[in-house]
Formats: sequence, structure tokens, C-alpha cells
Amino acid sequence: MKITYNWLKDYIDFDETPQELADKLTAAGFEVEELYPLVKSFSGVVTGFVEKVEKHPNADKLSVCKVSDGTESFQVICGAANVAEGQTVPFAQTGAVLPGGFKIKKAKIRGVESFGMICSKEELGLEAKSEGIWALETAEKPGLDFYQLLNSNADYVYDFFITPNRPDCLSMIGIAREVAAFTGNSIKYPKQSLCEDSTQNISDFISIHIHDEEGCPRYAARVIKNVTLSESPEWMQRRLSAVGIRPINNIVDITNYVLMETGHPLHAFDLSEIRGSEIHVRSSEPNEKFTTLDNKERQLPENTVLICDSERAVAIGGIMGGLNSEVSAKTKDILLESAYFAPVRIARSGKKMGLSSEASQRFERGADRNAVPDALNRAAYLMEKFAGGVVVSGIADVYPQTIEPYKVVFQPDKINRLLGTDYSRDFITDKLQRLQLDVSENTVTVPTFRVDIKKGVDLAEEVGRTVNYTHLPVKEFTDIHYDMPVSSVEKKLRYFTRNMLELNLREAFTASMIKKSEAELFQNGGHITILNPISDDMTTMRPSLLPGLLKAVNYNINRNMNDVRLFESGRIFTHYRPGQLPDQPYSLAMVLTGKRWQEGWNAKADMVDFYDIKGYLESFLAKIALDNFQFILYDKSSYLCDKEALSLEVKNQQIGVCGKIAADICTRFGIDQPVYAFELNLDLISDVIHFERHYKPVSRYPYSERDMAFILDDSIAADSVLSFIRKNAGKLLHDLQVFDVFRGGNLPEGKKSAAFRLRFQAPDRTLGDKEVDKIFRRLIQMVEKQFDASLRN
Amino acid sequence: MLQKIDAIKKHFEAEINNINEPSGLEELRIKFLGRKGMISNTFSMLSEVPAEIKPLFGQRLNQLKKTVEHKIKEAASKFEQKSRTESRLDLTLPGRSPGYGGRHPLLAVADEIKDIFSSLGFSIEDGPEIETDFYNFEALNIPKSHPARDMQDTLYITEDIVLRTHTSPVQIRVMEKQKPPIRMIAPGRVYRRDTPDASHSPFFHQVEGLVVGEDVSFADLKGIINAFAHRMFGSDIQVRFRPSFFPFTEPSAEYDFSCVFCHGKGCNVCKGTGWMEISGAGMVHPNVFEAAGIDSEKYTGYAFGMGIDRIAMLKYNINDIRLFFENDLRFLNQF
Ligand SMILES: [Zn+2]
Repeated sequence: MKITYNWLKDYIDFDETPQELADKLTAAGFEVEELYPLVKSFSGVVTGFVEKVEKHPNADKLSVCKVSDGTESFQVICGAANVAEGQTVPFAQTGAVLPGGFKIKKAKIRGVESFGMICSKEELGLEAKSEGIWALETAEKPGLDFYQLLNSNADYVYDFFITPNRPDCLSMIGIAREVAAFTGNSIKYPKQSLCEDSTQNISDFISIHIHDEEGCPRYAARVIKNVTLSESPEWMQRRLSAVGIRPINNIVDITNYVLMETGHPLHAFDLSEIRGSEIHVRSSEPNEKFTTLDNKERQLPENTVLICDSERAVAIGGIMGGLNSEVSAKTKDILLESAYFAPVRIARSGKKMGLSSEASQRFERGADRNAVPDALNRAAYLMEKFAGGVVVSGIADVYPQTIEPYKVVFQPDKINRLLGTDYSRDFITDKLQRLQLDVSENTVTVPTFRVDIKKGVDLAEEVGRTVNYTHLPVKEFTDIHYDMPVSSVEKKLRYFTRNMLELNLREAFTASMIKKSEAELFQNGGHITILNPISDDMTTMRPSLLPGLLKAVNYNINRNMNDVRLFESGRIFTHYRPGQLPDQPYSLAMVLTGKRWQEGWNAKADMVDFYDIKGYLESFLAKIALDNFQFILYDKSSYLCDKEALSLEVKNQQIGVCGKIAADICTRFGIDQPVYAFELNLDLISDVIHFERHYKPVSRYPYSERDMAFILDDSIAADSVLSFIRKNAGKLLHDLQVFDVFRGGNLPEGKKSAAFRLRFQAPDRTLGDKEVDKIFRRLIQMVEKQFDASLRN
Repeated sequence: MLQKIDAIKKHFEAEINNINEPSGLEELRIKFLGRKGMISNTFSMLSEVPAEIKPLFGQRLNQLKKTVEHKIKEAASKFEQKSRTESRLDLTLPGRSPGYGGRHPLLAVADEIKDIFSSLGFSIEDGPEIETDFYNFEALNIPKSHPARDMQDTLYITEDIVLRTHTSPVQIRVMEKQKPPIRMIAPGRVYRRDTPDASHSPFFHQVEGLVVGEDVSFADLKGIINAFAHRMFGSDIQVRFRPSFFPFTEPSAEYDFSCVFCHGKGCNVCKGTGWMEISGAGMVHPNVFEAAGIDSEKYTGYAFGMGIDRIAMLKYNINDIRLFFENDLRFLNQF
């Protein structure tokens, strides 16, 4: 919300400089987002007197003017239709610099020379858009410096961020009340001394009927007759422009001006369009339509507050007027509305229609029902003065149920307890009273413009604000011992992440929202989708971390970084659950592509393959000491190669997958090199591992090593032989490795050779050769029998 | 016979002094010590030696063999040493890199923040990212029609299920299951309906803190924020509190840190103000306590928030939030 420094002085006296005022209001909770001089700097512009206007010989729309600066006359070409002899205008002479740095030079326009330019307000940076040049209302002596003339009373514009709890401060008087709180000066309320025409009475012109008291607790109106529509006074236009409101005509400008002053929205109807001399306030019916003054037909949400005459709707209460009753050039008599609408009703209708106005923003946050007559009288006064209107005697004011001001229990000790202060009762009372809060023995009566004060804690904030938060005491942090429960999720997540980092991996961070088509590649249906997505790229919650990581792979390959190994941990979103929150387990995933290591002058590198990703996964599982897991061949994945995929299972439950990303998936992500990946469900893994671990003693005695190599059927998985040996070797087997596998050579078709290295060790003694050999020979026989294998020599 | 041994010795000494490369040395070894070498040959003559000098001859010959062996060995090690100095490694060539990884910079800052609060005695709590309207709004004193809902443009899954717009719902979940005193933070990913640009992201990270107890005051809140600011950015950091509005706190405040780049003098980063806006804080609103089943007469508390992304951007002087989720290795590898 914008105000100007000088305008504010109409309502309150203060000595603060513009910057001091900004600092004090910011400290009071009204953040100044911008503070700038009203008139942007320009030079070389003087008041000019238009002596002569003739048509340009070569262009219909241009005029050749003679403009005097008091000492000399200049030939100036002007394109504005409103230029006329006898006007006093801002005249930018050659060499002038306009706001934004635009320099005026001598020019030849359609064959005629021009020495300078006649300016519009837009060109001087005074308004966003001008129609025609600025002809001053009052003649000024030519040759005066125009910047000094405008800036003789230098003004500044403040743009405030007003928090939604303080609708009262969406006005000059609201801000003035805040200034009063720190200056102690009193508010100068605007003049509203009317000369009512006692020969005419309001009841002869309008009768008001509220049928929707809940939506509209108060509705008041005045009639102003015989107004003359024209431009509003120069000063009013300038003030409105300064705070970002475009001047339209005196009637509309006055309602806007009073809105800015008091914060209370008003609406002016053309009285001749109000049929039956009646106003009915009712709520809308299903499927009702209405055309607002911006000439848009709108479908009204049910329960919208409607202002109607005896036949039809004429305005959407508190939001926007209707096209059918708008003030226009032929308007003579005005029906001026000042009402109070229920915040919830305005908010609901406004949101459903996607319609927000200066009025609706104030009503939905909470207007002041007691400001209704004041705003009405002030606007009527201004219409009398600046639109030549005659104010009909009386206000039609329907206010069936007087709403009493809010009362809050006054407990200074609680205020002190909350703020950590020890202010006296008198001190606190003074602070509250400066804000027009009425403090009695043990009650604070809240003025109706303060819709935010409901409880004792709200009073504490008022005291804190007026003292200034910076001056409130600080209690140095002391370590009070609180017995806090262990934060288990955090601990687990850090444990998993740390173990991945210890494998020399780089952590990534990817988006949680992805395209639906991407989600479909990783989960068949059941996706968690967003009702109001930001864009088509972010409609669906990720069912896996892999789409994000594949995008990261693609991003880097596109920038010639072809060797990528990344991991991420975070929530994935997998299934809806009726009546509950969707499943959102923590997941851990890794992607791997490109060369096995960084190639160097002495280190040639191969491309990674399946065994690299499996190696990473195995290392990770070893680090977190996951026992009893099984790798199962897996050909049911929609995104992994059937022939290079494993399922990681514990007790027949899948807890992760590992493998090569299918080529068509890579293509979908714009990747044309093999990518390997694994993904684990951390919630499930957390259930089957031990975070607390005990040390297993390391044997001090030497181990005995034995190798065995078998020729066996190519279809027999290495893992089944390993598990078989492990299961049957007894507890002296300390370590088991596959150290060689090959096919072909002089082996028969369909056979392979697999060699295993076994280490035997006892915790308490050196094993004798005989003992080891016995176990070893037994194992060989068992393997031969179990797998129909033969021992190689 | 003994002269023969002396002759071999002289012969050997003459030859070894003329050898300047390892291959010559090997030839020499074969010539003297080989199976058919001069010394072996001389041993085979032992049977022809008269019995009375036999022991002496044998002894001398053995001595010669030892001397020759020793001298050849000595010469060989000299050659080796020489060759070592001559083919010295070019140590300026780059080493063989094992590669390196690391924590994502944003999450590293999150860890730092969490560690600071851990050291101040806060527990770290976690909660779902997809939340109910109740926990995200209603329980935090933001009813359906409240204009404050507009302040946080929300992404909806269903009418009553949302992507959490802050981690404050975790506070409610903790208060529901635990009696005061409570001292916790809730870090995590949050969501807003913001189109991504240099300073906005539809998902980002927040830490919310909550302390509830008897006689917890605004002065304590100022104290904890000071303590955090000093531990995070250094002890010369100033903290400023300004009144503000949040439905779930009363009194409410915004807090700013003095600019870490210009130390409050005013620069581009702080737009000349000398202050950097950090986030909001305040005393827990009684309605929030009531929604979570805590006696608001007996207990008071404070809550505060902070954006991890914003703090990370300040810490690393990053001006585009999108760098955090593009995963460009040239960016990530700097950390
Ligand atoms: Zn700065």
C-alpha cells in the first residue's frame, strides 16, 4: 500500500524526516518495501507559454507551435491533440534531460525544425500513461524551472507491506494512528462539515432493505443531487497518481480518495439507474449471472452478497459495481453507498470468481463497521465541494444489530511473562492508550477498526511493538537440561548418507515433482498427483528417485561431463491410502555411468558395467551390516534391463533393486550411454538392520587358504554355489571368494569353470592342515554331488 | 699352484675396473664364477694339488671366490644406484586420482544448522511432506477462509491433503504426543506454488524450531536467535527483530541478521540496508496450543523458522537457487 509523506501530514503532525519515518514504521511492523521521491529528477524543463498553434504542412496530426520561455520564442512540433494557444505547458528545451535520461535535441520532423518538446505528465514521470500534453490549470510565468516548481514541496512515496491482520492500515488514517503511537500527537480527522439541503429528505429517494444480515450487517447511503462530472482537482489527481490510482473523474476520484484516507470502500451509483427507489441486499441464487463494470459477465458463486434495486442486481456487494448502474457522463444524481460486509463471505466469493478489488481486499480482511457514516459524510462533503453536488438531508442507515466492541481481559503480568519484561501497569496502560485501546480496571476495549486484537497475547504484541522489539530484553541462552527423545529418523538418514559418502560418492538433490509421463515409467499407476500443479513438468510426486537422477545424468552429459556417479536420499511418494496420508517412504538411489575412474596419463579406464553398481551396493550393504539378504534375478522391472537386474530381498520381501537402466528409458531421458542404478527403500532396511553394533573379535591366529575349481553347468548361478559352501562349511570358514570364472577354451559347450578361494580360521587356535583338509575334501565332494560338478586340476 | 690363484685374482681386478655397464659385469661373473668359469676350473684341479698344500690351496681359493662374489655384488649395486638416479620419476606428473564425492552443499548447511541446534539441546524431529490440511493449516490457527492462506500459495493433492508449506506441522505432531518441556527443531523439504526463478523454487528447505515450557518468553526467543546467528555466521553478527504477523504466533516477529558481506555498511546483496531478512518467529499462539492439547494458561513457548536454502546462499554467496537442484557436477564438485 502506498502513501506519500506530505499527504500523511494532513492527518498527523510529526518531525521525522522521510527516512526516519520509514525506519520507525518498519520497527512498528509496517515494512517499507520502497521509499522514493515523488518527482523523479529531470532538468532543462521550464514553464512555456503557447503563443501560436498551426497545422504542420506535411502531417495531419502534428502542430507547429510557437512556445515562449519568457525571453525568446521557439518553434516546437507537437503531436498532442489538446495543445492550444494560451496554454501554460512544461516546455523541455534543447539540452533538457527527462526522467530516465532521455535527452532533448534539435530535430527536423517531417521537414520542419523543432527546438524542444512540450511534455505530458507521463514524460515527466508523474503518471504511468498520459493522454496529451499537460496544460497547467493556472497560468504560470514562463521560464520558471519546472522541476523546482513541482518539487518546491518535495514529497516522498512509501510502499508498505501491510500484513493481512492489519486492514485498518490500508489507509492514511491507519498509518497516522501508528505515527500517533510513537509521537503522542493526536489525529487530525478530515473535514466533513456538510451543508445538507433540508428541503429534501433521503427517505424520498431511497429505502434500504437488508435480507442477508449475516453477509451485510450494515448498509448506509446518501444521495447527492446535480453533480457535474469533470476532472477532479489537480492536487487530488496528483495524490491519487502518486499512490498508484489512475484519476478518472471527480466522482470516482472522490470515492477512491476517501478510500485511501479512511480505508473504507464506497460505491457511487447513478441514482437514475436504481429502479423503484429501493435497495435490497440479498444473497445470490444458484446459477445467477451478473455483468460487472469492467463489462465482464460473471457466474456468481452461491451465497454472494448482491446489491439489488427493485428489479435487478446492481452491484456485487463489497467486490465490484455493475455496468448497469455505473456513474457515466450523463449522470446527474448519485446514490453513494457505504456498507460493512462480512469478511468470510467476501473472501469466499472473491476467491471463487478470481476477482479481487481495492474494496474486496479490505472487506475480506475486515473493515470498520463504525467508519460507515464518517466515510459517507466525508465523500459527500467532497462531492459538494468539487462536483457541485447538493447533498440531500439525512443518511439512510440500516444497522439492525449493533455489534459491540471487543473486550479483552487486561493482565499486565501475563504480558510481562510473555515478553520477558517487568513493565509497570501504568507503563503498559500508556502504551495501549496511545493506540486508542481503552484500558479500564481489568478490561481493554478494542476499537472496532482493530480487527486483529482478540486475546491477551495480542495486547502483548501491541506493547512490544510500541516499545520497539529491538529494545525488548534479551535473555542469554542458558542450557536448561531437557530430556529430549532421540531423533530416530534424523539419525537413520544421516547414517545411511554418511555410509554412501564414505564410498566416495557425490550427493545430488532433485525435484520432488515430475512429469506424469516420467512417473509412469517407474510406477504403473497409483501416482500421487497435484490438483493445482505449477506446470505440466511438475504434476506428479516422484514414485522413485531415479527419474530425478537420470535428469541429472542427462544434464551433465549434455555439458560434456560423461562420467557421472550420484546418489540421493529423500522421500518418494508411492501409494494413496484411503482415509490416510499417502505412502511416503524414504528412499536411497544411486546412478552410475561413463568411465570406471578418471582416465589419466598412467591410468586407462574402462566403461562401468553391471558389476560396478553391484559392487557399490554390496559395499554399502556391508558397511551397514545388512545380513541375510538375497539377490534374486529380476525381470519384472519396467525400467531395468531384464537380463541385468537383481532384486534385493530380505525374508522374501523386496527392499531394493539394482541393475542396468533399460535402453528405452535412457532414450526417454535423452541419454545414449549405459546407466546403472540401484534404489533401496530405507524404511524397510531400517527395520532389518541393527544401528547399534557390537564388535566381533578378530582372530589372532593365522588362517589356512584352500582353492577349489569346478567345471559345472553354465546355468548354475555362482551365488548358489557360494551359499551352498557357506551353509555346509561349518563355522571355521572365515572368508569365501570367487576368484576366477571362464567359459570356452577346452571346456565343453555349455560348461564353465568356477574357482573359489576359502579361508579357514579359528578364533582360539592355529588350525592344523589335517583338520582343514578334512573339511575341504568333504566340501569338494558335496559340491560335486550337489551341482553335478567335477573338480579341475 | 698358489701363484695361479694370485694370477686369477690379478686378472679379475684388472677386468672389473674396466667394466662400465651391468651387462659386462654379468659376463665377468660367468667368466669367473660360472659353472665352467675360472674359479670352478681351479677347484676341479684340487685333486692334482700336492697333499701338503691342499688345505691352504682350498682355503685361498675359497677366499678368492668370496672376494670375487663380493666385488661383483658391490659393483652391481653401484650400477643399480646409478641407474636409479638417472631414470628419476617425473614427480610433476599428476597423481592417479581415486575420485572424490561429498555432501550436497545445501544439505551440508542443513547439517550445520542441525548440529548447532543439537548442541543447544534441541531434538531433531521429522514429519511427512504430504500433510493433512489440519496439521498444515487448521491446527496452526489458519482456518479455511483466513487471508493468511494466500500468503502461502499451496499445492493440493486432494481438498484436505496438501504438500506441506512449512515444517510447522511437525510441531503439532510432537506436541500431541509429548508433554512440555519441549525443545525441538523440524528440518525438511517444503513446497509452495512458486514458478522457479533465481530466487524462488517450488520446493525448498526449512527449519522450524519450537520451545515450550513454563515462563518461556520473547526474551528467550531473542536469546536463541542471537546464539544461532553467532554460531552460524560469527560473533559480530547483529540481530534485529521487527513486528510482523503469522497466524500461529503472537506476538510475531521478522528477524534480520546484519549483512555478512558488508557487516552492516550496505552493499548490493543487502540492497544497501545493511540487513538480510532471515525469517519469522514469535510466541506460540494460544489457539495452537489448544489445537495440540497443551494448556495455554500453564505453558508459553516460542517458535521460529528459517530457510536453509537462503542461509546456504548467503554462506556460499550463491545468487541463483536453481543451482541447488540442477546437479551440475561443475557446481557440486566445488564442495
Ligand atoms: Zn550488505
